[in-house]
Amino acid sequence: MHWKTRSRITSWLLGIVTIGFLLFQWAPMFTMFTLSFAGENGGTTFPMNGISLHWYQKLWEADLFDDFKPPMLRSFLLALACSATTVVLSVCAAQAMRGRFRGNGLYFYLLLLGLMAPGILVGFGFAILTRLLGIEGTWNTTAYVVHVSWALPFGFLTMLAVFNRFDPRLEEAALTLGANRVTAFRRITWPIILPGVIGTALFGFSLSYDEYARTLFTAGSDGTLPLAVMAQLDRQLTPELYAIGTLTTAMSLTVIALCAIGFWLRARALRGRPS
Amino acid sequence: MPEGPAIAQLDLELRHIRKRYGDFVAVNDVSLQVGKGQFVCLLGPSGCGKTTTLRCVAGLEEPDAGDILIGGKEVTGEPPWKRDIAMMFQDFALFPHMTVARQVGFGLEMLKKPKAQIATRVAEVLKAFEIAHLAERRPSQLSGGQKQRVALARAMITEPRILLLDEPIGALDYSLRETVMLELKALQKRSGISFIWVTHDQNEAFSLGDHVVVMNHAKIEQQGAPDEVLSRPRTAFVAGFIQGNNVFEGRAGASRDGVLEVVTAAGLFRVPLLDLAAPAAGDALTFSVRAERLIENPGESILNRLTLRCVTVEYFGAFRRHVLEGAGGLIVKYDQFGALPPSMREGDEVTLGWAQDSGVLHRGPSA
Repeated sequence: MHWKTRSRITSWLLGIVTIGFLLFQWAPMFTMFTLSFAGENGGTTFPMNGISLHWYQKLWEADLFDDFKPPMLRSFLLALACSATTVVLSVCAAQAMRGRFRGNGLYFYLLLLGLMAPGILVGFGFAILTRLLGIEGTWNTTAYVVHVSWALPFGFLTMLAVFNRFDPRLEEAALTLGANRVTAFRRITWPIILPGVIGTALFGFSLSYDEYARTLFTAGSDGTLPLAVMAQLDRQLTPELYAIGTLTTAMSLTVIALCAIGFWLRARALRGRPS
Repeated sequence: MPEGPAIAQLDLELRHIRKRYGDFVAVNDVSLQVGKGQFVCLLGPSGCGKTTTLRCVAGLEEPDAGDILIGGKEVTGEPPWKRDIAMMFQDFALFPHMTVARQVGFGLEMLKKPKAQIATRVAEVLKAFEIAHLAERRPSQLSGGQKQRVALARAMITEPRILLLDEPIGALDYSLRETVMLELKALQKRSGISFIWVTHDQNEAFSLGDHVVVMNHAKIEQQGAPDEVLSRPRTAFVAGFIQGNNVFEGRAGASRDGVLEVVTAAGLFRVPLLDLAAPAAGDALTFSVRAERLIENPGESILNRLTLRCVTVEYFGAFRRHVLEGAGGLIVKYDQFGALPPSMREGDEVTLGWAQDSGVLHRGPSA
C-alpha cells in the first residue's frame, strides 16, 4: 500500500470519532427541537406525547411570551450594538498591530486576556466597580461594555488573521495611483477584508446574544433573554421554553445561512464570469 | 554630484539619500540624476538597497537624510499620492475585487475626472495595450502576461513624469520576458516618461537602460551608460557582478608610460592606468580581463600570459565557455565564439594571454 493511502481501519476510526463528536455537539439541541413539537399533554422529557405545533401557538398567544418579548428585544439590540462596536474596535486594533509599535506584544496579550478571564469574575468585578463609582447597572450601559470586552478578543484574532493574508502592496499601489490613505482604505482594504469583517460581526452578535455569566451581575433590573430563560427555568419547565430555544436557534442559523450565501455570491463575482 | 539649485530639466534627482532600519543601513549616500525621458536601471544583488531607493522615490519609505526632487520640485516630505509618479510592482498588485477597466481607470478616478471622460480614456488605453477584450475580467482570470499589461496600463494612464518598476518582468515566464522587454523599451521611448527599473538581471539592465546604476551594500558602485559600465568596470564588485569578467587580485609594482605592473600569485601582469593615478608600490589592487578577450597560444608580443589547465567546457550556442585552473587555485574563464571548432578539451594544459589594453584596472583597494 502506498504511504499516502489511508488504511481502512484508520478511515473507520476517524469517521466514527468525527460522527460521534458531531452527534455529541448537536444531540442536545436536537432533543430540544424535537420536544418542542410535543403534543398538548406532552412534557419536557421523552417519550414524546403526540406531535403538534401547540407549544408554538401557545407561545404566540400566551402571556408567557409577553414576558419574553422585552428581554428578547433587549438581547437583540444589545447584540447588534456589541457586534457593531466589536467590528470597529477590532479592525482598528488589528490595523494597529500591522504597523508594529512599542509594546505591541504586551498590547496583544492584554487584549487576549479577555478570552482567559472567567465570565462570572468579570461580571461580578465589574458590578462591584460600578457600585463603587455609584453607577446604576443597566443592560444597555454596563452590560454593553462588558459584552464588548468579551467579544473584542475574538474579533481581534479574526481580524489579525484576515490582515495576515492581506497584501499591503495593494494599498501601496493605490497610494502611488493618487489615493490618499483614507481613500485607499475605503476603496481597496475594506472591500478585500469585508468577509473577515462580517465574520467578526457574527462573532460579536452571537457572543453577546447568549451571554449569561457576564450579564447576570451587570444588566440591572431589566434582563436579557438568557437571564429571562434561566429565571423561567427556575419557576416552571414547559415545552414552551424549548419552542423559544428552537426559534432563536433557527433565527441564528438563518442569519448564518444568509451570510454564507453572501460570501458565495461574492466569491463567484470575484472569480468573474467564466470566459 | 554637484550641489546647488534644482535643475528643471531633470525628471528626478536624488541627493545623498540615506535610509536605515535599526542597525541595518539599507541605502547609503545614494545620489542620482535622471534626465528627461531617460531609462534608468538600478542593478544589484538582492538586499543591495535598489528596491528601498525606488520606494523612497515613490514616497513609500521616508529617507533618514537627503533630498528627492521630482521635475525639479522638492518632494522629500510629500506622500506618494502627491508625487508625479506611478509604480509597477513585481507581483503587479492588481486589485482583486475590481475589473480590468475599473482598475485601469483608478488613477483618473483619483484625479476626480468626470465619469464619461474616464470611460473614454480607459477604452483608449485598453486598446493601446491590446487588452480591450479583457475589460470586464478580474485579475484571477488573467494570465501572467495579461496581468503585466493591465498593471502597466493602470500605472501609465495618468501619464506620470516617472514610472517606477520593481522587477516588473520577474514574475513572467522566461520565454515572455524578451518580448515584453522590447515592448517596454519601445513604449518608454514613445511616451517620453522616465522609467526607473529595478532588477537583479544584468541582461535586462544593460539591454534596456540608457543609464545603468550598479548598487552593492546600500551604495552605488558605479553608474553610467551600459557600454561604459560593461567595458570599464570601476570596482572589483562591478567586474565580478557582470558576467564574463576575470578578476585578478594583486599588488602594485612600478609604473611607466601609463602602464602599471601588478604582482599577483599567478605572476606579473601589465595593466594600463588609463585615467587612474598610479598607486603606491605595494598597494593591494584588482583588475579584470573579459573572458572573450583572452587569446589562446599568444604570440611573443603578448606579455601578459598564464599557463592553465582546462577544467570544464560549457557550450552555450553563441559562445563556448572554458573554465581553467591555474597555480594557487586561480580560476579563469575563457569564452570562445561558438561557431569556431573546439580547440581544447577538459584536462588540457594551455597558455592564455591578453593584449595589454584588454586589462581594466579598478579603483580603490581590493574588496
